[in-house]
Amino acid sequence: MRDPAAASRRFLYLLCTLLFITACNSKPDQQPTAAPPKAPEPAVYTVEIKDMKFVPDSLVVKKGDEVIFVNRDMVAHCVTEVGKTWTSSAIPGGEDWMLVATRSATYYCAIHMVMKGKIIVQDSTGK
Amino acid sequence: MIKKLGSGASLALVLGLLYATPGYSQANPKLSDPEIASVAVVANQNDIGYAEIAQKKSKDAEILKFAQTMSNDHKAVIAQAVALVKKLNVTPKDNAVSQKLLADAAKERKSLEGMSGKAFDKAYIDNEVAYHKAVISAVEGLLVPQAQNAELKGLLQKVVPTLKAHLAHAEMVQSNLK
Repeated sequence: MRDPAAASRRFLYLLCTLLFITACNSKPDQQPTAAPPKAPEPAVYTVEIKDMKFVPDSLVVKKGDEVIFVNRDMVAHCVTEVGKTWTSSAIPGGEDWMLVATRSATYYCAIHMVMKGKIIVQDSTGK
Repeated sequence: MIKKLGSGASLALVLGLLYATPGYSQANPKLSDPEIASVAVVANQNDIGYAEIAQKKSKDAEILKFAQTMSNDHKAVIAQAVALVKKLNVTPKDNAVSQKLLADAAKERKSLEGMSGKAFDKAYIDNEVAYHKAVISAVEGLLVPQAQNAELKGLLQKVVPTLKAHLAHAEMVQSNLK
């Protein structure tokens, strides 16, 4: 003959076990997590050194953007910050040099000192 | 007072005489492409020669730097010209203009060799200003209009901005010397 009390205990035991397993498998409340915002890809600009001029001679970029100076003349040129904090050294005709813009600068060709240009670096707010 | 004519003034005189020659006109070319190539090469060689003297005689940093640029740039132009005449299978041909340029340059070099110090620096840079003015005038007014081959004409046209930058640079150095 079956013992009704024993059956209740077994039922309660099974119920508790199920609840325990369910509790263990459940995940805490989760909000969908957004991936951290990616830094925007740097834009790439080209300044041609052509006919003894920097073209364009003024360029507005954002911090981290890349500026490639391409020498299209037959003579060597360079790109040198006026305070000489940085320089490309000589760029032979047909070759190029890349600058990662970190701050605004006025530059010139130290080989042909009449050639001048500037880069204006704006922050993300456009200032 | 008799003022000595520098090589720039002499070149201008040569061109003036050519233009003044009866029967001569820009529409009736006197120089063939091989002759134009010769004039172009000689004009560049002359300035390399002046630069070599400056590098030997001057102690002024600006003059030395300018002379180095002239030497490098005019060698680069000659290299382009030589590559082009080879490609076109043209041999530069001696002519009255290139001979006059050579003769005048020899006189100018002799004059510069006889100077020293600030007098040399001034004479060198004054000559550079005059010479570049004359060469620009010659290229724009004589060589480009008379060149028949499109690539030769293109090369001559491409050299003009370089010559103009040299002139502006020479004038800057000249101004700083005063």
